[in-house]
Amino acid sequence: MQMRTEPTALSTTISPDTGIRTEEMLLNVGPQHPSTHGVFRLIVKIDGETITEANPVIGYLHRGTEKLAEDLNYTQIIPYTDRLDYVSAMTNNYVLCHAVETMMGLEIPERAEFLRLIAMELNRIASHLVWWGTYLLDIGAMSPFLYAFRDREMILDLFNELCGARMTFNYMRIGGVKWDAPPGWIDKVKEFVQYMKKQLPSYHNLVTGNEIFINRLKGIGKFDAQTALDYSLSGVMLRCTGIRWDLRKDEPYCIYDRFDFDVPVATEGDCMARYLLRMAEIEQSLRILEQALEQFPSEGEIMGKVPRVIRPPVGETFVRIEAPRGEIGVYIASQGKDKPWRLKFRRPSFNNLQILPELLKGENIANMVAILGSIDIVLGEVDA
Amino acid sequence: MLGFAKGLGYTLKKLSEKKVTHSYPDVPYPMPPRFRGIQHFSPEKCIVCNQCARICPTQCIQLTGKPHPDPEKKGKIIDTYDINFEICILCDLCTEVCPTEAIVMTNNFELAAYSRDELYKDLKWLDDNNTNVREEN
Repeated sequence: MQMRTEPTALSTTISPDTGIRTEEMLLNVGPQHPSTHGVFRLIVKIDGETITEANPVIGYLHRGTEKLAEDLNYTQIIPYTDRLDYVSAMTNNYVLCHAVETMMGLEIPERAEFLRLIAMELNRIASHLVWWGTYLLDIGAMSPFLYAFRDREMILDLFNELCGARMTFNYMRIGGVKWDAPPGWIDKVKEFVQYMKKQLPSYHNLVTGNEIFINRLKGIGKFDAQTALDYSLSGVMLRCTGIRWDLRKDEPYCIYDRFDFDVPVATEGDCMARYLLRMAEIEQSLRILEQALEQFPSEGEIMGKVPRVIRPPVGETFVRIEAPRGEIGVYIASQGKDKPWRLKFRRPSFNNLQILPELLKGENIANMVAILGSIDIVLGEVDA
Repeated sequence: MLGFAKGLGYTLKKLSEKKVTHSYPDVPYPMPPRFRGIQHFSPEKCIVCNQCARICPTQCIQLTGKPHPDPEKKGKIIDTYDINFEICILCDLCTEVCPTEAIVMTNNFELAAYSRDELYKDLKWLDDNNTNVREEN
């Protein structure tokens, strides 16, 4: 995707039967458009109601995080990662800490690992709930949004109690976590998991069976496994084409290998498949949470043995984990200083968005929002 | 039509349930003890070690020290302490590194101001901001 592309010239056709002259039209969507969930501009060329070309324009939210990071020490970069994918900041926190810990060979105490895992999985549920609510809002259903935010609010309250912030957590540190679970917090999470388990069927009752909804999504925005691989898609965008690839299972990090869970996969590759997969992922996250809360150690350290000044050895590393939107990765090149020489984020939203122009080509204009929403992008991450 | 009716049924069932909304700001919204609001600064505790200014990811803290007025005592005392709240991201790192807990978080989060100048918080403002101070830092 180019930062700014000029659309090709508009074509004019004269119908041989009627002699009526028709012309293609340029339609500008965004950058301030509610369905883009941020500042994302799309220049679409339409022939009647059919999209013939789509040119995405990104970069409105670019803050230069990677460049800024070169001038910050490793602990200072953590709050910046909160602001990439701000809907799922815990996984971003984790991936940076994980990269530095891998470089330095640090050992993380068990209790800290559990707290990290619980926080990440709760955040995955919160992130999917935001997606569920806003996607249905895009499609034209108002009330699911309210239900989704009601339940997400509970997760945010739990996070607020744990680390003192609702979205920009800055919770994890290199070597562990900042705060231990406050008294009674684990029980509250247990309660929430049970509550959420009861809520999920009602979500399906409310939306999934709805005939209008099914007709809007079935067969829309379809692509196959090879296309997904060619575009380097990840997460649900990859799994909806039948490829079973989840880093929590395939390259276990944190303590995911201790828990029993499934990786939901679909073969249809359309918007409906992606919808059902995300809903199934919430279920699996609840399963992981249930086991983790059961095995949560009653005591222990929350910070490992970390040198006072964090200086990873000379060299480079790349780690990746499974964020709610796909694979998020961090590449660090270190020269042995307290600041990275180069830091690069592999942002799943950015990579997944690349396929959009191809998916939109030949689609009806009414499906544009349904397809864009099903990719599940967060613009903070796309523009970094 | 069955799926449609099911959804409608759920909506109707929820109609009689208790509201989940909160009538903020008429009723104040309590925040948990660890909540990060604007900082409180105690000048008498500060030893001018500069750690908060150095750890701040956005460089929003500026401070100067002066020699201790009592010539018998070593070290410095704080002279000026400013937080540019326009760019503070409330990341909690300044309170984390402070060895004497001179800078701590409070639960105060209603921080809107009419002008940008008001967002420059000086030593006096931060010292007076002593309500809802966080206990654990």
